[in-house]
Order: sequence, then structure tokens, then C-alpha cells
Amino acid sequence: MTVTLASLSRQTGLSVLDHLEQEVTIPVLDGIQAQGDLLVIPLPVVADVVSIRADVRWTGVPAGGVELLRGAAGGNPHTLVADPLTCRWTTSINDRLGLALGLFEASEPVYLLHPEHGATGFVPGTYVVRRQREQVAAARRPGSATADARNRNRFIED
Amino acid sequence: MTAARLEAAAIREEWLGHALSTSPADRSAAEAGISELYRLVGRKAPAFAWVRSPAEAVPHIPPMPRLRADLFSGRAADWPLSSLLADRYARLRDRLDMCVDRRRIPAGWPPWTTKLRTLPEEELSREASDSVHQSVLDAVLGPIRLAHKVVTGESRGLAWYGQHDAHWLAHYEIWRRVGGATYAHDDVRELEIWAVLARSCGWWWPVEGLCTVSERPVEVNTEPAGESGQIRLHAADGPAVRFADAWSVYSWHGTRVPRWVMTDPSVERIAAESNVEVRRCAIERLGWDVYIEQAGLKLVGSALDPGNQGSELRLYDIHNGFSRVLLAVNGSLERDGRRRMYGLTVPTSIDDPLAAAGWTYGLSAAQYSQLVRRT
Repeated sequence: MTVTLASLSRQTGLSVLDHLEQEVTIPVLDGIQAQGDLLVIPLPVVADVVSIRADVRWTGVPAGGVELLRGAAGGNPHTLVADPLTCRWTTSINDRLGLALGLFEASEPVYLLHPEHGATGFVPGTYVVRRQREQVAAARRPGSATADARNRNRFIED
Repeated sequence: MTAARLEAAAIREEWLGHALSTSPADRSAAEAGISELYRLVGRKAPAFAWVRSPAEAVPHIPPMPRLRADLFSGRAADWPLSSLLADRYARLRDRLDMCVDRRRIPAGWPPWTTKLRTLPEEELSREASDSVHQSVLDAVLGPIRLAHKVVTGESRGLAWYGQHDAHWLAHYEIWRRVGGATYAHDDVRELEIWAVLARSCGWWWPVEGLCTVSERPVEVNTEPAGESGQIRLHAADGPAVRFADAWSVYSWHGTRVPRWVMTDPSVERIAAESNVEVRRCAIERLGWDVYIEQAGLKLVGSALDPGNQGSELRLYDIHNGFSRVLLAVNGSLERDGRRRMYGLTVPTSIDDPLAAAGWTYGLSAAQYSQLVRRT
């Protein structure tokens, strides 16, 4: 079956902005893909810093999808969509950089849907979902002398 | 369970609605409520002076009474009125808190046992209460209070916040109706007086014989700010909060900023601003691409953005001592058919645009170069 923005939108009941092309087939690709402020990375690429916790709890991804992250400002969610029993999602992971939201395992192609960014397709595999960060200066407090202590990260929200 | 969830959300929304209300004050209800509080501490009902905003109230309110030991001789009749009210209020909340805590911790059990017996209704109550707290106290009252301090110069008189007391009133109502807390009959009646004020007016400043009361704002602009119904102040083109006398508070995605950030976000003003958060907001308001061009930032390097259809990544020096800025292009089209540009600050040690883009996701330049598609 051909998967398009329109068919994903029907399957999940989620709407996408009407200026995005609705009937084009969503490419299902192998590799790192970005959707707005999220990056989806095949696990082997970051396996040296990301690991699944021993007490892992999985959530089966239903046809209606699982919301991975909702943009704080606009309230637009990134939703992981899969056919039933083909994909599971967990947040029980350790990321040494603290950027990962979670990880999903897919045995069939799965899709990430966003009202403004459209859809992204993934070949079967295990993927880490990371947020984007930037560096911001923390408020200067007496005693925090080093630059490292003053600077911190801020997550990007689009 | 669903019913409890809906009820918690309904109470949360009702009180948030009062906190954000821009309706004219219900003056008779507010005056009756405040008079009742005066009577509860043994004083006659005051005269009332209505003002259009907390700023307009400033000349009417005396400075905070100096708290001296001899004032607190134990003879409550000698206390200043504002201290009597504060004492009455603190005692009411202490009693209510004990009733809420009793739901949380069984008498005689050590505190850690709450972890073993948290009921879903208690979890819901906590979540709804936290949400209103963040929306009203942290996101609305806090910024307005800071802006007001700029007007008053120093702390003036003890203020109560009318509609902006909604968060603690919501807290006790949620715990009573959803969380299963029960309060003494008299405390419920006293709480209702405060609730009436939260539903009918803005801030108020009580002194002996006179109470100055502010109208509510005439304009409040917010945006969603969380998973459980939280909001924050935001308006891109004008005040986030505006009162009838034009006194206003400006906010960019929840960060309180001076007026110029909305009305005149120029490179010169940004350079002169000492607060980095304000500077960041002003640059975002201006647009990173416009800022980089007008500020004449020096290009460190550029590269094609992998997976992003001919778009470039451009890395600039920003001369702030700790970061560089990476100008990137959105992977998807805006409504007008253009692609939005956005700036990301990265550590100053990074020279390569690909390494900079990789760093924002915790990847190396080589890893980021493998990106196959960006939307």
C-alpha cells in the first residue's frame, strides 16, 4: 500500500497543514533523518553512548500512533505511526549526552508525522530519537568562575 | 478514573480562566469580599479606591510597615491591618495544608510511605494543581510582579492578587473534589471569600480604613506551554498583558522582555542589552537571518546541509565570548512557500559548520554528514 500524508492523516486522525503536499508517497529511507527539532538515528551509529536499560518497559505503537514530543510553543506533536504489532517504543534508555527521548524497534516500515513538517518513513530497524540542543549562557552567579559552569544547553522547540 | 481526570481538568481550566480574565471587575462582589476579610480580623469595612492597573495603584499605597518586635507584643489589636490579614491567611492555609497532607501521609506513618500508597486520584490532583501553579504563579503573576517592582522601585505595601491568587485556590479545590481531602466547615467558608475575590477583581492593597483595588487587565495573550494544560505569556507584536491605563508587560515565549524587543528590536539595542536572555529574544523577534546581516557578523564557514535540498549551513562569529551561531534552514516549507531560517548557538570551539550542526544533536561532523533527509 502506498503511504502518503493523506493516508497517514486518515489512519491517525491527526491533521497536517494543507500547504504540504498530501498525495506524494512518503520515502521510506535507511539512515539518519531529521524532522524539525528531532533527529532519528539508527542505533548502531550511537551505540557507544546510548543503551537500553535493564528494566526496560516497552509500549506497543498502536495504529493511532504514539506522541513522542509536543512542541511547547505551538503544541504540535511528533507522532510515531506504525501498523499494529510492528513497532514498539521505550523511554527506558540511557544516553550519555542526555539528548535522547527514547528508542523504537520496527519490524515493518514506520512513519513519524508532524503537522508542519509532514512525514518521514523508516526502514525496519532500531532507532534512537534525539532532541536538538543549543548552548545558552546561564545567569552569572558569584562563584561560578569557569566558562563551563556558566554555559548550559537548551532544547530547541519548533 | 476518567471522570476524576475530567473533573481535575475542568477545575484547572476554570481557575486558569479566572486568572486570565479580562472582564471588568465585579466591584460589588470584590468590595463585599474584602469587607468580610476586614471584619474577620476585627476591623470595620474600609472605603475603596479603584485603579485601572497595579501601576496606577502605586501612589495610593503606603510602604510596607516596618516589622518591629514591639509591634508584635502579642496584642493583636495593635498590629497593622496588613499583618493581621497575612496572619489570618497563613493560619487558614496551614489548616488546609494539614488536611491535604493527611490525604498524602497517614498519621504516624513515616513520610516515605506515601510512595507506597499513592492513589490515582492523588496523582491526578497533584498534576492538575502543579499545572495551575505553573501557569498562574510562575507564568503570569511572577512576570507581572517583577514588572511592577520596576514601577514601585521597592516593595510597597502588602498586596493580595485577586484573580492571580487562583493557583492556590485551585489547589485546595482540586484536592477537595478530586483528591478526597476534607476541610473544616468554617475553613471552607473562609476559603470561599478568597475565591470570590479571585473571581471578581485584580490586585488589592489593604490599609486601615482604605483598600485600593485594581481592575483586571484588558488584554492577556498566552500560548500553550506544557503537556498538562500549562500556558505562558507570549505576544509577538505587542504587550502580552495590557491594563486600561496602558501599563503593559511584554513577553516573548514566556520570557519577560522590555518593550523595545517588540517595538524596535534593532542591532544597536541588542548590542547594548546586558541580559543574554533578553538579547536572545530580541534576535529571535528580529529574525536570525536579518540580525546576522545587519550586525555584519563574520562568516566562519559554510557547507551544504546534508539531506536538506541544496540548503546551506552557515557558521558565524557572534563575539559574545562563549558561542558561535549556526544559521540553518528549515527542512519544510512555510505557508508562503519559503523556508524559515533559524540560528542555533554552539560552542565557540567549533570551526566547521557540519561539526556545529552535529553538535546540536550530539553527533560528530562525519555522523551528521550521513543525514539522508530533513523535513
